[in-house]
Amino acid sequence: MNSEELIASLTSDLRPVPRHALGRRIAFGMVAGGVITLVAVAWWLGFRPDLMPAMHGATFWIKWAYTLSLAVCATAATARLARPDGGVGGALRLMLVPVLALATIAVVELAQAPRSHWLAMWLGDSWMICSRNVFVLALPIFAGLLWSFRWFAPTRLGLAGMTAGMAAGAWGATLYCLHCPETSALFVLTWYSLGMGAAGLLGWLVGPRLLRW
Amino acid sequence: MAHDDNHLRALMLAGLAGDGAAHAALLRALLPPLRGFFRRRLSAKSSGSRDDDIEDLVQETMIAIHQRRATYDPDRPFGAWLFAIARYKLIDRYRRSGRTMPLDDLGELADEFDFAQASDARSDVDRLLDTIPDKQAAVLRATRIEGLSTAEAAERLGIGESDVKVSAHRGLRALADRVKGGWR
Repeated sequence: MNSEELIASLTSDLRPVPRHALGRRIAFGMVAGGVITLVAVAWWLGFRPDLMPAMHGATFWIKWAYTLSLAVCATAATARLARPDGGVGGALRLMLVPVLALATIAVVELAQAPRSHWLAMWLGDSWMICSRNVFVLALPIFAGLLWSFRWFAPTRLGLAGMTAGMAAGAWGATLYCLHCPETSALFVLTWYSLGMGAAGLLGWLVGPRLLRW
Repeated sequence: MAHDDNHLRALMLAGLAGDGAAHAALLRALLPPLRGFFRRRLSAKSSGSRDDDIEDLVQETMIAIHQRRATYDPDRPFGAWLFAIARYKLIDRYRRSGRTMPLDDLGELADEFDFAQASDARSDVDRLLDTIPDKQAAVLRATRIEGLSTAEAAERLGIGESDVKVSAHRGLRALADRVKGGWR
């Protein structure tokens, strides 16, 4: 096919592209995956029985503030890396802010607790499954994001995969909060972050293969 | 020229709004810069398959520009977006063929993505080339700008290979004199 024929075949019956098409695709992929994750939390893990009273306490909102702010930063970075000429911008560095804030809260909590409680605060009741759960709950959202990327043009595939994985991990962790009754900041900082990091690592590994176009 | 980028960007925006004619005009206008971009970057070892490679890459890039047009951010320069796609397609080609590309070259590539600046430089060169004899200018355009080999340029211009070499040499010297002599 010569170029003129190619141009003719590409431009006949051209469909308009809405102005925020890229953002909508990302949102659609994440919401579609998020619904599956939410169903998994409800049926597989179950909502925490004290969810309603917990939502009146500060701990629940500290956890959500942590996972939500990370989710927003990672999603913003992913949206930028979906464009061929996009850098990460400051979004990744901005993720240090919630991490440092939660670390500060963790130090304050530890300082107020007797030394003999520290290990229990760190490990909680669920340290062995928490990171795994966050990682597993990230997978549907990550799959949704991969679907979105079919229309995108990332040029830094490993990095785009990593931010997509971290976004999926952070949104997955946000939904996991509906199940997880742990209250210590050090617990969240360690085991939630580990699960999100694992999701990011997965994205970094599979990105170069799955995001090619 | 910034004008170039604005013009292409206007066509792109019309295409995004659903104007098929504008989209076709855009793709047509992109053919020469894309051919030049890939020609300068593919090694000249086998000229026959090289032309095919260039056309392949140009067409792949055009398809990507079309299919992934939603990734263009209207607030950013069009040329940066265009050449980021072209560059990706070039690297992808190298990767698929199992060849490696030194990272140093990539840095150099990145510098050339400012479309506006590139066009600016091109119009300067055009004006400079207008001041030397036609044959020398044609030889320099073919060998130094489009990146043809001596043999390819000789065939295109219908002159001998030694004539190409001599004309390129004289042309470069004439250009050097004009630049040194304070050409404006």
